[in-house]
Amino acid sequence: MTARSTLPLQAATLGVGIILALFLLGPILWMVSSSFQFDSDLFTVPPQLIPRQPTLDNYRYILTREAPASYSGQITGRRASGEALSLVPALKNSFIVATVVTLFNLLFSTLAAYTYARLRFRGRDLTYAFILTSRLIPAISVAIPISVLITRLKLLDTHWALITVYVAFTLPFTMWFLMKYFAFLPPEIEEAALIDGCTRFGALRRVVAPMAAPGLAAAAAFAFMGAYSEFLFALFLTRTMAAKTVPVILVATAINHDVSFALSFAALIVAMIPAMAFALIFRSYITRGFVSAFGR
Amino acid sequence: MARLHEHGTMTELALGRAAARPRRRAHVYPYLSILPALLVVGLISIYPLLFALDLSLYRNVLTEPLDHPFVGLRNFTEAFGSYYFLRSLQTTVKFTALIIFGTITFGVLVGLYLNRAGRLAGFLRVAILLPWAIPTVMAAIIWRWIFNGNYGILNALLVQVGIIPEYISWLANPYLAPLTLVVTHVWKWGPLAAIMCLATLQVIPRDLYEATHIDGGGGWTTFRFITLPFLRPTILLLLILETIAGFVTFDLIYVLTGGGPGDATTMLAWFAYAEIFRFLNLGKGAAMAFVIAALTLGMALIYVRLLRSEEYTT
Repeated sequence: MTARSTLPLQAATLGVGIILALFLLGPILWMVSSSFQFDSDLFTVPPQLIPRQPTLDNYRYILTREAPASYSGQITGRRASGEALSLVPALKNSFIVATVVTLFNLLFSTLAAYTYARLRFRGRDLTYAFILTSRLIPAISVAIPISVLITRLKLLDTHWALITVYVAFTLPFTMWFLMKYFAFLPPEIEEAALIDGCTRFGALRRVVAPMAAPGLAAAAAFAFMGAYSEFLFALFLTRTMAAKTVPVILVATAINHDVSFALSFAALIVAMIPAMAFALIFRSYITRGFVSAFGR
Repeated sequence: MARLHEHGTMTELALGRAAARPRRRAHVYPYLSILPALLVVGLISIYPLLFALDLSLYRNVLTEPLDHPFVGLRNFTEAFGSYYFLRSLQTTVKFTALIIFGTITFGVLVGLYLNRAGRLAGFLRVAILLPWAIPTVMAAIIWRWIFNGNYGILNALLVQVGIIPEYISWLANPYLAPLTLVVTHVWKWGPLAAIMCLATLQVIPRDLYEATHIDGGGGWTTFRFITLPFLRPTILLLLILETIAGFVTFDLIYVLTGGGPGDATTMLAWFAYAEIFRFLNLGKGAAMAFVIAALTLGMALIYVRLLRSEEYTT
């Protein structure tokens, strides 16, 4: 290929790459730039790509919840919404929920995935199909019954309401993913352990799980990010800051025209950082996971 | 291991153990290990679905709490007979077709690009994870600001370049609003498609390409006869995922358009939501929710059939 590459072709390739980079990163950068501006600077034509008077006050306000001097004056011209200021407690809720979901999800899906990957037993295909198919049930289809169920269990507006629902919704994918992963591991090593007197569970715990650490890390990342991102149930099952998660808070500010845009954008950036950091930290595991799941 | 020394050689141990090991525990283990997963999934997805079916057979409007007569399938027939439901179905199908086309095209082309050597491709392989990592509602908030009719950057950019003469209200135009949802969806989910395609492309043996190259095959021949067959299962899987995604789209609508302007972006999931939470008609909402689930499951099963026959033939 390279031998035939001519200068125009190389330039075209470079151009495509730059356009792609702009499409992927431009929106994020534009949001970052906006979050360092006051509302009065945001509402200008044409927009300021690079803030003319950059400020940290939006972030300061959200993180400390004390209005900086600029917010007491006329600069913003808009109400600082209570919701944007609830970002910190919402982040706490989101982290608690996502962490607990990840733990339960890993435990349940590893147990089940290993069994499906290695063992034959009556009802195997049926139960496997049952779990996987449940992933296809749209959230909106079960929203009412789950709300009723959660209310009856007296879990409405608690972390446990979200945790229960999210474990069920993230489990089919991580289980399928881990099953594929386990199936790729050579069975010889665990067979040695089994002959050595290990039980199946012992083999899973001492031999297979350590070998599958990258796969488990990727599954954990998927579960955590699934729980951190979920919006529909968070909207239905929470009422107060006792349980409201980040997506609920952010959406409430973003679709309310009366509140400060700048504050809502700063809140958005703060909330996006953990998700992006997570993806970058777990990058190699996630990519390796994808290669083992899709590359046959 | 300590026992190993007590009991003698390894073979002896293995033989003795195999006979003495409580057989029942080995029989029960598979069921015990899948039980937690089955219970959680059963409680949170299957049981509620049956519950919804039950709910849909009664008239149940929250403003009339004491009156729940059994109405049979009337909630379903009313839904299907309603002009608005059929319109939302139509909107959903159009939107789904567009995101399938958009996401898969993006995935395949960008996947091919990322599979190249070079620094830019290497950088993009990292960058592409970001839209995928950003939660859907947050992506929607970003694009809501980009599409903003008065101060959004898209208008500024297009006017600057001279493509449009003046600012357009993207989100308030019934023809453009559905497209804003498509663009946002492709930005958020196209990267995942590209990552999946890239993962598939990376396992195609190099010598296959070299063989066609020697045989005089050009770029298109290589793509058509080597790359595409390898990508086929991944593309089919994407087809399933995107079809489902289209039929359950809710977050994007909630943030970007709220179903409007008019009912231009009212799709099935949003319609069911409005029926339940705005008009408080639980029975009808449940019926619609059930229809959505049936459609999604039905289509997914058809695709899975396709995927499976595909796997057997190749």
